[in-house]
Amino acid sequence: MINIWRLTKIQLLSSFGLNKALHTLDVKERRKAILLSSSILAGVLMIAVVSFGYSFMMAMTFEQMGRMDLLLAIMMAVTSIVGFFTTIYKASGVLFSYKDYDLVMSLPIKTSHVVASRVLQLYVLNLFFTLIVMLPAGVVYAIKVNPETLFYLLFLMTLLFIPLLPIIAATIIGSFISWVSSRFKASRMISLVLTFVVIIALMVGSFGLNGNEQVLADMGTELADMIFKLYPLADMYVDAVCSYRMSSFLLFIALSVLSFMIFATVLGTRYKAIHTGLTTSHASSKYIMKPLEASSPFRALYKKELRRYFSSSIYVLNTSIGMILLLVMSIALLFVSSEKLGELIEIPQLSHYLSTLAPMIVSLFVTLSCTTSSSISLEGNHLWILKSSPISKQTILLSKVAVNLTITLPVLVVSSMLLMISLRPGWIESLLLLVIPLIYACYSAMMGVIVNLKLPNLEWTSEVTVIKQSAAVIVSMFIGVISLLIPLGISLLLTHVNGNLILIGIGMIMIAVCLVMFRYIQTKGERLFRTI
Amino acid sequence: MLTIKHFTKSYKGGKKAVNDLNLVVEPGDIYGFIGHNGAGKTTTIRAVVGVLDFEEGDVEIDGISIKKDPVACKSKIAYIPDNPDLYDHLTGIQYLNFIGDLFSVSKADRELLIKKYCDAFQITANLGDMISSYSHGMKQKLAITSALIHKPKLLVLDEPFVGLDPKAAHMLKTIMVDLCSKGSAIFFSTHVLDVAEKLCNKIAIIKAGQLITHGKTEEVKGKNSLEDVFMELIAND
Repeated sequence: MINIWRLTKIQLLSSFGLNKALHTLDVKERRKAILLSSSILAGVLMIAVVSFGYSFMMAMTFEQMGRMDLLLAIMMAVTSIVGFFTTIYKASGVLFSYKDYDLVMSLPIKTSHVVASRVLQLYVLNLFFTLIVMLPAGVVYAIKVNPETLFYLLFLMTLLFIPLLPIIAATIIGSFISWVSSRFKASRMISLVLTFVVIIALMVGSFGLNGNEQVLADMGTELADMIFKLYPLADMYVDAVCSYRMSSFLLFIALSVLSFMIFATVLGTRYKAIHTGLTTSHASSKYIMKPLEASSPFRALYKKELRRYFSSSIYVLNTSIGMILLLVMSIALLFVSSEKLGELIEIPQLSHYLSTLAPMIVSLFVTLSCTTSSSISLEGNHLWILKSSPISKQTILLSKVAVNLTITLPVLVVSSMLLMISLRPGWIESLLLLVIPLIYACYSAMMGVIVNLKLPNLEWTSEVTVIKQSAAVIVSMFIGVISLLIPLGISLLLTHVNGNLILIGIGMIMIAVCLVMFRYIQTKGERLFRTI
Repeated sequence: MLTIKHFTKSYKGGKKAVNDLNLVVEPGDIYGFIGHNGAGKTTTIRAVVGVLDFEEGDVEIDGISIKKDPVACKSKIAYIPDNPDLYDHLTGIQYLNFIGDLFSVSKADRELLIKKYCDAFQITANLGDMISSYSHGMKQKLAITSALIHKPKLLVLDEPFVGLDPKAAHMLKTIMVDLCSKGSAIFFSTHVLDVAEKLCNKIAIIKAGQLITHGKTEEVKGKNSLEDVFMELIAND
């Protein structure tokens, strides 16, 4: 068992640039690491405060209904479902795609323990999210209910087990997709398509479980039924923590731990076969020289970058799921009027706000699809090729921006047009619906490059640590969301000012920011690239 | 062709990896760079080819400073690192074409030279396969081919014979001699002292970041073997 922890520790040390920060002798690097950790900590605290406020507001409603247990049930179900969906697409990457596979598998460690260490890596990341959501909810519950001491003990103990089952469920799906894909020649592409299909199918399925707005209006018992139907373990959890039922408590823990152990053991038996299937390249050795096509350096870099993008399923899944959801949402809205949508999500006069909200919501999906924030780190050991090439670094960096725009722009234009059909805005609103996300797409792509230049991570063993857990990705996502929340907050506050005028103002400011960033890439980008 | 002037590189924390190194490689030279592990060979080579940033000293390629005009310098250099990590997601031919594009090699030249060198290394049939399916030696051969298709004036190699089979190693030596006879220069690091002794017309020995001797091979080794001289120099300091 100690080996599982040893392997997990090694993997976690390479996450978030942790080990580098701990061992660097460079004062500048150390200062950067301290600043970054403080910013992340501040971000986490901010989310925890928001989570507390949200729990508190919900608690007021549940207090009136006399069903305070629903607060913990909802929050537990939410963390589990979010953990489940965000794990499906990274499961395959974490389990099978890491560079030190040969080294790890040659060690005198059971395969099931290697599998367990990979799953634990997913667990630690999800536990982090669970704590941010559940701890504030627990505090609110304690304030409102003033429970016995046993509550605190049960609450804290179960907290550690909440993420396990959703992760196992998601990892089973991820492994199954990998197992199916590993049997085909184009295993990576099949894995990618299957994962997208499963995620969208599960999302559509879970929307179907939500029931109608009548259920939402009734609240009380029917709401509890809905949550328990959506996530049956929430029922067992509430029984254990709020009603102090020991049988539920033990069953909840036993189910979590047993499923983890069974999963690690079963996957351990097929682990090598799946890995071999996924990593074996097809070699025909029948190439005959053909005429070659010459391109400009920029085009060559662009093609290379695009091939790199599509060669990694975790990279594609992580950065294009937002765009796919945007497209699915835009298509779905063709069948729902804005008035009906307002009723569904309980925002009266939604159509009134939509002209301001729609471009910002579309922009949110765009900023979440930033491929550039990990594109330099992903060069890893290959960076010498670009560094020793007679190409200006600006060309290299802009080729990465171009790939990001290739991923976002086509979907963005199609989605905006579909939204124009479904929401029927005026011509100025239509124009803004198209232009504002376009500006944000350029902003997000360039910002990602700059952040990655400042926070590179070239010494990775698994792509997942760069794509999902690197400082550059977290910081650029944070900056992206903040860049949308601030103007959104301003537009919601200035209700007396014409929404279009505000959007035009936001657009102008963002264009100016983009120009500054473009200039920065041209000038400082060269120097920063040289130093990494 | 290559002038290294007072090159110094310090690690973060202050320790000097290379200290005040001066070296001149002239056209036609096959210059061997010898030293024990951690002596500063790779650090020097990486600075020469513009991969490693440095503060003290300068490196000039054909009279141009790599600090002032790195793009012009790099267009004259070909570099092959000790462990050629190539893009696994590309096929061999895609990689060679990519390098051809970056170095603006004409279509005719790249087709001719790719065929010439890939046939010589017997990897033409594998060019349609993903690089991820290549062995270490095949990757090395592909990296060497990519370095040669843009006819470099200076070829810089870090431990080029590691991982090559005897036939490919012989082929590489022949190519190196041929390239230098046409006016190019070669600067390479190696641990294989026999090869350095037979192949190089000039040799430099580095120890703990300091250049301890350099010059024509015959002058450096005198009547002894290069191995004896190397062992003596390393032991003496």
